[in-house]
Parts: sequence; structure tokens; C-alpha cells
Amino acid sequence: MSLATLRGRVAWIFDEENFDVDQIVGVKNIKITNVEELSKLAMRGYDADFAASVRPGDVVIGAGNFGYGHPHYPPLRALRHLGIAGVIAESFSPGFWRGEISMGTMLAACPGVLGLVRRWDEIALDWQDGMLRNLTTGGARPIEPLSDADRTMLETGGLVPYLKRSRDLTHA
Amino acid sequence: MGYTLAEKVLARVSGRDHVRAGEEVMAKPDFVVVYDFPGYTDVIFRQMKEDFGIGLLAEPDRFAVFIDHMVPVATAAEEQLHIQTRDWCREQSVPLYERRGIGHQVSAELGYASPGAFVVHFDGHISQLGAFGTLAIGLRRNVLEAFVREHVSLKVPHTTRINLTGALQKGVMARDVFHHIVRVLGPSACRFQVMEVGGPALAGISLEGRQVICGLAMFTGAITGVVNPDALSRAYTDPRARLHLPEVSSDADAEYAAVHDIEISALEPVIVVPPNPANTRNLMDHVGLPMNAGYLGSCASGRLEDLRIAAQILKGRRVRDGFSLHVIPTSQEIMARAAEEGLISTLVEAGAFTSSPSCDYCFGRIAVLSGGQRAMSTGTLNVAGRMGNPDSEIYLCNAAAVAAAAIEGCVADPRKYL
Repeated sequence: MSLATLRGRVAWIFDEENFDVDQIVGVKNIKITNVEELSKLAMRGYDADFAASVRPGDVVIGAGNFGYGHPHYPPLRALRHLGIAGVIAESFSPGFWRGEISMGTMLAACPGVLGLVRRWDEIALDWQDGMLRNLTTGGARPIEPLSDADRTMLETGGLVPYLKRSRDLTHA
Repeated sequence: MGYTLAEKVLARVSGRDHVRAGEEVMAKPDFVVVYDFPGYTDVIFRQMKEDFGIGLLAEPDRFAVFIDHMVPVATAAEEQLHIQTRDWCREQSVPLYERRGIGHQVSAELGYASPGAFVVHFDGHISQLGAFGTLAIGLRRNVLEAFVREHVSLKVPHTTRINLTGALQKGVMARDVFHHIVRVLGPSACRFQVMEVGGPALAGISLEGRQVICGLAMFTGAITGVVNPDALSRAYTDPRARLHLPEVSSDADAEYAAVHDIEISALEPVIVVPPNPANTRNLMDHVGLPMNAGYLGSCASGRLEDLRIAAQILKGRRVRDGFSLHVIPTSQEIMARAAEEGLISTLVEAGAFTSSPSCDYCFGRIAVLSGGQRAMSTGTLNVAGRMGNPDSEIYLCNAAAVAAAAIEGCVADPRKYL
């Protein structure tokens, strides 16, 4: 099993360092559990037409230490529901990273990504050779390799399927 | 080249002679500590059974469950969650600690903070056990791994060393030191690393203060914080530790990702302005800003030195009319000591509202703010909505600054009352 190359467009660029992901749905809405409702609210503060313009496989881009603060799960649930395949950022905050990888959200750390892409560029994220390519401009940047556990979690779809596949014979 | 404390602990618990930062290991936690909370423990208990077919845990004494949130309950649904937790612990023979205080503090009191031990939780503030030389990491939902198999997968973290030099001025506390570290090094300085704090100034920082610094490590990007054990920490852990492990400290020639020296002699009280925990400012630049409420408590404060300094400031004075001051000791043990010392009566006579320990003041479940209100808080976080309303503002500070604000109804310099 290996991670397939992801092809999509840059649906949004969060250029703020230490970005608090709760802003994606708005802090007021963070306790909403209905994903349809959340998705309608997602990105409203950034682009009212976001939901209508996203296609499955698109990604969002982040700056350094993306997900800092006290990240909750609903914002990325909402983005995934809209078809966003993952987040590519300069770097991630560890709490956000761990939480979202366990949900099966594709995350890739790519130092230099902010200089590589503009909104709506076509990109290809190739896990095999570890490169993020901008298909619109021809540029490319290496991505940071995943740990074995994180890669397996993304391959299997998240924490529970990962643990089901790789669990020791003895349990806790 | 020597090894860091984190490398040594993770070598032991992964059954290896040595490990280096960057290696992936399967590490067996000495203790798995959680508090009951919807979406975490109830889901874990269900998944264990339904997804993994696990009946009983093989080593229940490696686990500890705290009931510290939703204490006391406000709804029947909350009580139902606690009932499920009690039933699960009974069925599993897992120790349950209810109404003893905030679990991150009580787990230190109960010896889960054994020097050299490896502890996991879902909540990142468990990092405060690092004050005792324990490597304690919050895994968020990945803590499920520790419930369904012996080991958790982990990349051995690099360590950034912070040497504190100098001595704290009167009215400046460990809380200020931590936010100063964030101000100097930035909110991603220790990203995915261990924040190791040491240096000559540490001798003047209490164990309680070290708990505060380590407990907030996540806001430097760190996955945990540690202090190498010393005579002060051993005096606390020797009679309490559940595990007596070989002495573990970072070697003098350990390989650090970075080493920073931070001088604290000139440090003044700070205030962390909303909306995020990286916004450290000098408190003096905000003096006079009107405040409606004050919160002294949480796993990042509410300990004896915090209660003592607040009592010293409030003794013979009054909380300003209309200002809501909540002073919540962090554990029953601390509360009993504070009562013996007369701190509780001093605080109450000044007009503070106190209650038994609970996490509920910190995460906006009770004592909430209304839109447009502002609080001075020793809670863990100042993100919007943390105290119940996204249109209110939370300013983080030390315990003395909360007390001073309570007297004046605005940001005030605590040093003039000391």
C-alpha cells in the first residue's frame, strides 16, 4: 500500500503564521456537530463562494506553525466534507498535526510552499518522490517525509484502521 | 555525544539500549492518564470493545482516570458520563480519582509523576509532570493506541534547552517566565520537540512554578516540557513516586536542537493579550484597561504560591464592586493546606468567590463571560470563546496580577501591593 499522488488545485492560501484553524468555521460555530451545517459556515469569512468553487481533490495551503493554539476538529471536518483533500503548509503545530493525521486528513509539510503556489494553481503532491509540483508554473519543492506511523495512518484512513491493521498480538 | 532525558526515557520504554532523536520507536507508557470527557473517554471505552474486541486491560494499574471536568455536574447527561466512567473503572479495576482536584496536579501528588517515567494522556497539559523529570506527552485521540496495545508509536523528539539565568523580581512569577520564553523564542521555537528548562535561575523557581512552565510547553510548539530532577524535585517525588526508576537526566554533552540563554532578572509582570497565547506584552503597558472578572486557578496556577501571593495582596483590601473574582485551588490537598494557612479566609474576606477544585472555570463551562466583558486569568488559554463567549476577551497573567486587578477593576501593577 502506498499513498497515491494527489492532484488538485490550491483552493485557498492561509498566509498567516500560527494560524488558528477554528477561524475556518468561526469560533462561534465550533460546537456545531452537524457536518452539513458546518460546511455551510466554513470559509464564510474568507470567500462567500468557497463551497461552490471547490472541487474534490483541492487543497488548502498554510504558513508556518499552522494549527497553533487550541485546534478543534470541526473546521477540517467541514473542509473535508467540501472536498478538500488536505493541507500543505510551511510547517504544522504538533497538536493539529497529530489530531488531523489520526482523522485521516492528508497533511504535508513543505517549506517554501508559500512561494511556490498561487490560488487556483494546479498542483501534484507526489509521496513517492517526495515532491510538491506546481503544474501551472512548473515549479517544485520537496516535502518532508512522513514517519512510518503517520504514513500508515494516512494510507489506511486514520487512527482506528491503522491500529486495526498494525496492532500487537498482545494488548494493553 | 550524550543523550537527552527524553532519549533516555524512550530508550528504556522501547526496550532499547539507546535511541536518538528522529528514530521511530514503539514505546510502552509507564502510565496512561486521562480525565473523562465526552468525545474522548466515552469513545475510547466504546472503541476498545466494539472495534478491537478488548474485554479487560491486562495491566489496569498502568492506567489512571480522573473526574475533574464537569465537577459538580450541571446536567443529568454529565452525571451519566461520570456514571459510565465509574462503571468502566470498576469493571476494569482501573484506579479512579474523583473530586480530588485537577488531574494534572493530582497525578503529581499521587506519584504518577515518577522521575524518568513515560506518561501519556490525550491532553497536552499533562506535560507539567515534566517538572519532576517525567516525560509526559499529550497524544490527543491517538491515546486510544495506549488502550488497545502495549506500545504507542512515537518519533523520538529532539530537545531544545533553555537556560534561565538571573533571579525573579518581587511580583514576577514562573507564569511570567513561561510567557517571556514564548515572547523571546516565538511560538514555534520548540515545534515537535521537548522544551527542557534548566540553568542557574531554576534554583529560585519553585516546583509549582516549574509545573506551570512545563504545563504550558505546548505554546512554544513543544510536545512536552521537562526539568532534570534535582534535590528539590526529589524531595517531593521520593515519598510519592509509584515507580522508582534509575536516575535519568540529560547528559552534559547531550545533543540539543538548540540551546538558548534567557536572563530573567529584568523581567517584569507580563500580560498575554487575546486572541492567542503567543501575544506576550508587558503588563505595565496595559495598566488601567477595565476588567470585569478575574480567574485564579487551572492546572497552570491555583497552587499554594499563587494563593499565598493573592492573599498577601488582598489581605485587608476588598475586591472592587462589580468585579467577579474566582479563586479555585487546584487540588484538595492544596485547598486543605491553604485553609490551614488561613489563605482561604483572607481571600473570602476580601470578597473572592472560592470553590472546591474543578477544571470547569478554565474551559468556559461555568463562570462564563458575557459579550464585551474582559477577564484577567491564570487559565491555560486566551483564545476567543474559551471562557464561554467568543465576544469576550481573556488576558493571561500571573496570580498576583489577577489579585491586583480584582482590587482596582482594571489591569494593575501587583508589585505596589507586595
